[in-house]
Amino acid sequence: MSAQLELPTVAPFFADKPDLLVEILGRYPDYGRRSALMPLLWEVQRAERHVGEARIAEIADILGLRATEVKGVMSFYSTYHEHPVGAYHLQICATLSCSLAGADELYDYLSEETGVVNGETDREGRFSIQKVECLGSCGSAPVLQINDDYYERVTRSRCAALLEAMRADRLEAPWRERSGDTDVADPVAARADGSPSGTGGAP
Amino acid sequence: MKVTVNDVEVDLAPGTSAIDAVFAAGYDVPYFCSQEYMSPVGACRMCLAKVGAPRKDRDGNWILDDETGERTIFAFPALLATCTSALSEGMVIDTLSEEVKHAQNGMIEFTLINHPLDCPVCDKGGACELQDRSYEYGSGRSRFEFTKRHQEKHHPLSDLITLDRERCIHCKRCVRYFEEVPGDEVLDFIDRGGHTYIGTVEHGLPSNFTGNITDICPVGALLDATSRFRGRNWEYDHTASVSLDDASGSAVVVDARTGRIERIKAGLHPEVNKSWIDDGIRFGHEYTADPERITRPLLRKDGELVEVPWPEAAAFVAERLKEFSGKDVGVCIRADATLEEGVAALALAEHLGTGQVDHAPRYGPTVMPPAQATLQELAVSDAIFVVGDVSEEVPAVDLRIKDALRGVTPPPLLPHGVPIADLRLKERMPRKREILCVAAPYRVDLMRHAGTVARYDVGGEETLFRGLIAIAEGGSADERVLGMTLAAAKAFVDRLRAAKKAVIVTGGFVLSSQAAADAAERFARAVGARQLVLGPMANAYGLEAIGVLPSHARYDYASMVAGGAKALLISNLDPAADPAVAERLAESRLLVVHDMFMTATARLAHVVLPAKSGFEKDGTVVNLEGRFMPVRAAPVDAGEAVDVTGLVRELGLAFGVRIEGRSVRSARRSLRKTLGTDLEELTGLGAFVALPRRRVAVSVAARPGVRGRALRVPTMVRQEYLLRNPHLLATLGGPALRLHPDDARTRALSHDDEVTVRVDGVPRRLRVYVTDAMPSGVVSVPALPDAPAGPADVDLDGIVVERRRLEVA
Ligand code: SF4
Ligand code: FES
Ligand code: FES
Repeated sequence: MSAQLELPTVAPFFADKPDLLVEILGRYPDYGRRSALMPLLWEVQRAERHVGEARIAEIADILGLRATEVKGVMSFYSTYHEHPVGAYHLQICATLSCSLAGADELYDYLSEETGVVNGETDREGRFSIQKVECLGSCGSAPVLQINDDYYERVTRSRCAALLEAMRADRLEAPWRERSGDTDVADPVAARADGSPSGTGGAP
Repeated sequence: MKVTVNDVEVDLAPGTSAIDAVFAAGYDVPYFCSQEYMSPVGACRMCLAKVGAPRKDRDGNWILDDETGERTIFAFPALLATCTSALSEGMVIDTLSEEVKHAQNGMIEFTLINHPLDCPVCDKGGACELQDRSYEYGSGRSRFEFTKRHQEKHHPLSDLITLDRERCIHCKRCVRYFEEVPGDEVLDFIDRGGHTYIGTVEHGLPSNFTGNITDICPVGALLDATSRFRGRNWEYDHTASVSLDDASGSAVVVDARTGRIERIKAGLHPEVNKSWIDDGIRFGHEYTADPERITRPLLRKDGELVEVPWPEAAAFVAERLKEFSGKDVGVCIRADATLEEGVAALALAEHLGTGQVDHAPRYGPTVMPPAQATLQELAVSDAIFVVGDVSEEVPAVDLRIKDALRGVTPPPLLPHGVPIADLRLKERMPRKREILCVAAPYRVDLMRHAGTVARYDVGGEETLFRGLIAIAEGGSADERVLGMTLAAAKAFVDRLRAAKKAVIVTGGFVLSSQAAADAAERFARAVGARQLVLGPMANAYGLEAIGVLPSHARYDYASMVAGGAKALLISNLDPAADPAVAERLAESRLLVVHDMFMTATARLAHVVLPAKSGFEKDGTVVNLEGRFMPVRAAPVDAGEAVDVTGLVRELGLAFGVRIEGRSVRSARRSLRKTLGTDLEELTGLGAFVALPRRRVAVSVAARPGVRGRALRVPTMVRQEYLLRNPHLLATLGGPALRLHPDDARTRALSHDDEVTVRVDGVPRRLRVYVTDAMPSGVVSVPALPDAPAGPADVDLDGIVVERRRLEVA
């Protein structure tokens, strides 16, 4: 019964992506339509680096929910952003192992260099910084996650190099010291041939 | 199923929760998150108890104790949350041992860790579950030496509800309520984790049932903004009564302090409103304390209305009435007057010898359908057809329909009342949308919950029902008339016919046409459905039942004010809002107005008599299902205001006769003769009383035909008092002229513009509300007691913009 508010109109995100929508909704049975919430949020975020109010409302509409419910789910995950993050979203692990390995100094350095603090995005939209909890790569602390990629054992000089690469938009793919599960098909075989195992050496 | 709670054995149905067993046995266990009529979720861990149960061996025999030969009780390894545990045969529940006490103590301490303990300035103080439980089960000491979490303390969730985020204990009752009861998750936990708070992104909580969360919040986190900081709980007089706001007969508790109503809370009526009321009922009480209220009789002397003592006013009326022959006098009361007031009005008319007696608003058709459904039947119905906007007209009915969609029958009452934890209820239950079809000339809220939706044309109720009858008889109908596809209509008609407990709900739109009402009744018969008719006001059913009706259609209220009566006694109605009627009334030889405020009609009156509000009188009303319910007066200072029985008493004194109905008691004596029931004995829950069906087609005088495609629509909020209810007014922004964006554009109107427009010739000041819920070309204005729901004539060409909405430069 409350007064309706006229929001600035934005072209709906999914309007021109019917196939994508059908595909995502098709993953779940009809009674579980709600479940499509996460992938839909993810689609928007990947494209727009955040999920704004209008998008939240749009997703709620698609799923027959209220925007509040979408917001409730979304706000649980620190990986969904309400405000746009930078082209390079720097996520610094602030949990114990990384902290001991110098994550705090790493944060200070990055913050100074980029001019933003935790939770902020710079004016150009290039950098944003977020302190995160354990990234599950404690053995190679300190860990810096740039967008979706892990950069491990980020020393000051390595960090400086990374920053330079990002400023020039030439960021290279990370070298995963721990042979993350994506790089190596058979980790056991990888260990057997003497490559580093990251968590306590070869058996 | 036999279980033992401490030393008491109780026998309860399987499926009952352990917490209910504890209460059924007469013991107590603290709890915060469970709430009657809502799903138990085990969130607060306050209801812990030590639970054990016997076990069976592989052969299905009870494992027995070697020494005693009794069943061995195997205790569960940890304390259980009793609210989410179902009973099992032979279960043993212990709520008194040291172990349990220790756990309760710990949970209280834990819950209080971040609680601000600002009870001295908290509105909930004295009636707070957290305060009471801490007192009973806490240690009274905290070991938490650190700074407490600080959060927003005055967060307006809407204009009606304020949230104190520090006080919240995250029981999740309010969040679950919105999803489970009205079915709209407009409130949720945000930033779940260590900093969880309650929030919404739905500007202003768009639901008609938001206030209930202030009742169920176990702490002072959610507060009714109309009563915030206005009193302490122990200062209030609590009066359990029935709301006269609409025809539902919802139970309410009226809290008054020093002669003023401060707040309305939901009462419990398991068969009517359960423990929920709509926001119109809850927040629509502020008008009773309006400083402009008339508190003493006024008599016109030298052209001016001046205050006089009651005897003088009554003597004047009695004296003047002598000039008229009885049949020239008209008496009309409003349709939310009590039965007792109805008796008084009838007795007065009889004393005067006139057949011109009526109640208004009243439609031609009856509100007492031959196959009457009850609200309980509606709540378990397997096929529901709704025509109109119930969520605005009688919102309680909306919630009972949603009960049916959930498909859980109302819980049986236990020794301690409604089950605290009904284990059949779950969060996010699937809803049986397919059993509901909603039809209306515009988009209504309930359509979002319906499996079948029909949008027919304005005034198309009769043809809609005729079309459906044709389908029921194996024929066909025009899809435009049905407002839905033929296939959908056929499928739903089949469903209605196949259903065992089909219910058809119709409101003012159907009542406004005799032909439509007849067709609805025929259709109900054709598919074997029962009917629930939403009367226009709280006691339309009762006043019709006891025959507060004119002796002939040409003596009805509209005819009276159109000049049929030379002398008029009108209670709580304002016919002179219509300038044409005002002109005629200005010439009437005697106009006596009984009202709370100086309405247009009161300003023309020779005598104005102060009226009581619905919260200030005792009496009986009959709700839309035919249930007789007691209304009780709250201790409110209303000056010398009286209800109609009081009015008749004063007039009787002046006439020197004792008129029946000169008091509530005397009216009830008279009703006992006609009804065979003593209403004095009516309990709070009310009762069904067998009624003689007296209504014999006392129709209303035909109104002139309507030209435009406009509607007067029922609203949850009483429009006649809206301007005197500041909080509701702030929320709604004013009475709304609703129209489609295209129409707004062509007429250069924008949302929130204030306009004056003639509705059926009556100029009304409205606020433009642009919404695509209205079909293009159709506009709606709120109904009023003197202009009830139905097709209207809105003069859009003559619209005058009084004030443009504020533009931000
Ligand atoms: S606001 Fe009240 S009802 Fe809602 S979660 Fe907090 S304590 Fe519970
Ligand atoms: S503590 Fe940084 S990855 Fe685990
Ligand atoms: S856990 Fe909250 S009442 Fe049982």
